[in-house]
Amino acid sequence: METPEGLQHHIHLKKGDAGRYVLLPGDPGRSEMIAKYFDNPKFLAQNREYVSYSGTLLGEKVSVVSTGIGCPSTAIAVEELVAIGADTFIRVGTSGGMQPGIETGDVAIITGAIRDEGTTLHYLPVEFPAVADPDVVWALREGAKRIGMPHHLGISQSKDSFYGEVEPRRMPVDKHLVERWKAWIQGGTICSEMEAAAIFIISSIQRKRAGGVMLMAQIFEAPPQTDEEMKAFMALFDVDRAIRTAVEGLKVLIELDHKIHTP
Amino acid sequence: MARDFGEVMHHIQMKKGDVGRYVLLPGDPGRTDMIAKYFDDAKLVASNREYRSFTGTLLGEKVSVVSTGIGCPSTAIAMEELIMIGADTFIRVGTSGGMQPEQVPGELAIVTGAIRDEGTSLHYMPPEFPAVANTDIVLALRQAARHTGARYRLGISQSKDSFYGQHQPERMPVANRLLERWKAWKMGGAISSEMEAAIILVLGSIYRVRAGGLMLVMANQESKTDRTVVYDLDELLRTSMEALKILITQDREAGKQAG
Repeated sequence: METPEGLQHHIHLKKGDAGRYVLLPGDPGRSEMIAKYFDNPKFLAQNREYVSYSGTLLGEKVSVVSTGIGCPSTAIAVEELVAIGADTFIRVGTSGGMQPGIETGDVAIITGAIRDEGTTLHYLPVEFPAVADPDVVWALREGAKRIGMPHHLGISQSKDSFYGEVEPRRMPVDKHLVERWKAWIQGGTICSEMEAAAIFIISSIQRKRAGGVMLMAQIFEAPPQTDEEMKAFMALFDVDRAIRTAVEGLKVLIELDHKIHTP
Repeated sequence: MARDFGEVMHHIQMKKGDVGRYVLLPGDPGRTDMIAKYFDDAKLVASNREYRSFTGTLLGEKVSVVSTGIGCPSTAIAMEELIMIGADTFIRVGTSGGMQPEQVPGELAIVTGAIRDEGTSLHYMPPEFPAVANTDIVLALRQAARHTGARYRLGISQSKDSFYGQHQPERMPVANRLLERWKAWKMGGAISSEMEAAIILVLGSIYRVRAGGLMLVMANQESKTDRTVVYDLDELLRTSMEALKILITQDREAGKQAG
């Protein structure tokens, strides 16, 4: 949907503004931080929770567009980016780790997402899997290896309620939440976040590529107590680790695309 | 039910040591003999109900083929029992129908995920949980298809419980629902329709074992012109053997690095 000026209704971008490669953080405050890793970054637009920049990597046009929290606003961003020509999406952000053995500061490279949200049901029945593109997964893994970033491949839980996850006991549907959380962990889910499922489902429908890399915090030991523990935690729980992995992975993917000459 | 590794598993009638860690899973017990011919030194190890099993070697590594029968209920039993006796890498090999108009009968579908259009996996996980293939298996299958020169594509498979619900939806009391969902799966980009992948992938996640699938697209009901039906499984099987060899080689290298 376009404005009278020919801009996409919400993201306020038009054809030519964004590259085919787009990084998708949740937080609009992180767009600028990510754009600093591009060559020649330029601010493009800001409207609502959508803040966007474009630049280049390896001479190829790349963009960053924030999605806001949750699948409803993320679906709008992806729809409008597809409408102006983007075809490769990498979600980058923070999450909680869900398996023992995950250390704070490790990154999750997402292979699929639990559709624990409402938006994708407006697109496809619940049985359809939210799956990442294998080339994007491969490139992100190669990127993590190149920069020596500890990483885990696996499934992410995309939920609609942040407080339903972190404080389930105070919700009227607490039993439902707690039982499902246990099932996700038994299923091997590695992280919990709020946007990946919509990005994957819309990409399947639109025949685009998508993946995601999330910074994780371990949740199986006691949270940091002393100031020093908190300092050590914050040094590792730094979204920059996920951003660097995403940027390196994107370069690997661009190299692959140059090699196989896909349009 | 047999839980002790010394015991013979209730349905597949095998015990620890009878299978390799690498297992091919066709649906049809009649195909296991043919598949075993691609192994070195294959031996029949058991045959009970729809479960027929051979074990042999590839690159000197123990590999097996075990039929699952049609559908997720019998497939879940086979996989549960195979995991109990030490298998950890599963590749479904079988036939399927194409779902995108441009698909050509005879091409291979490398499964990246499966639509859980079946009842069995709901006994394990809520439906929102995705049935996702192991990335290393997906990449090995693709590399293998490039080696064998097979025409292939990567994508999502529909794992359904009712064969005739797909082929003759109009005569089912729930015809409208079946037709509407089939249209949704096509729009979502699904590339093959079969009956077992979803449970193999979901159990792979739960038990932390690797799982994937390679399907021959026998025919394509969505093609406007092409009514060809392909029955020859040779390219499918050569490609699956090649993929197993790639995985075996990778696993040996990783073992060396770790050791």
